[in-house]
Amino acid sequence: MSEDRRQILEMLADGKINADEAERLIAALEKEPATAPGAGSESRPKAKPKYLRILVEADEIRPGHGPTNVNVRVPMQLLRAGVKLASILPAQAQGPVNAALHEHGMHFDLSQIKPENLEEIVEQLEDLTVDVDEKNGKTKVRLFCE
Amino acid sequence: MIPLFVTLRVRNPRRHFRLWIPLFLVWILLLPLALLLLPLYVIACLVAGMNPLRTAAASWQVLSSLRGSHIEVNHDRSLVLIRIS
Repeated sequence: MSEDRRQILEMLADGKINADEAERLIAALEKEPATAPGAGSESRPKAKPKYLRILVEADEIRPGHGPTNVNVRVPMQLLRAGVKLASILPAQAQGPVNAALHEHGMHFDLSQIKPENLEEIVEQLEDLTVDVDEKNGKTKVRLFCE
Repeated sequence: MIPLFVTLRVRNPRRHFRLWIPLFLVWILLLPLALLLLPLYVIACLVAGMNPLRTAAASWQVLSSLRGSHIEVNHDRSLVLIRIS
């Protein structure tokens, strides 16, 4: 029972208000969370992003060639499926894959990917935004979820 | 749900074309081939020490989640666009 409701019932018990007034106050109390300004938007659960977006804008790399724009949209579901697919790789294949990843600077162990950790990995990605601006401002990379 | 259509768009100074591929027809055509290759797939999975059912489920999930993918590369006056829906 909420504190407000308890207070109303105590006022009723003390005879400070009658039953009709108590009923009206309780009804108003029930309506309050729905009508309070801004309460709806705050209490509403955050919509889950559906896509991972990668945007690359590169200015003229070589003279005479125009700018390059890359726009890639990857469904989050595909990331989930990919991680799941990686987790079922046989043990003998995981060694060479890990070694190849390590060689390319990705210190990552595929055996650590478990389906139960999957949602956590994807959830962490949802808040991810990466902006890369090259020093001379010629290349911009943007990675975010939408 | 598996992807049903692919839109491919290629544009360069010399040519410009747009392809709309109805993948559902491709799936229908590939179905008999998939059935024929099923025993081979099961044997390959067992040899590799993988569970064929888990592998099939994961592959199906990857295929299904391809829907909504969008790849667009625009360079100079050339454009390549692939959209899976």
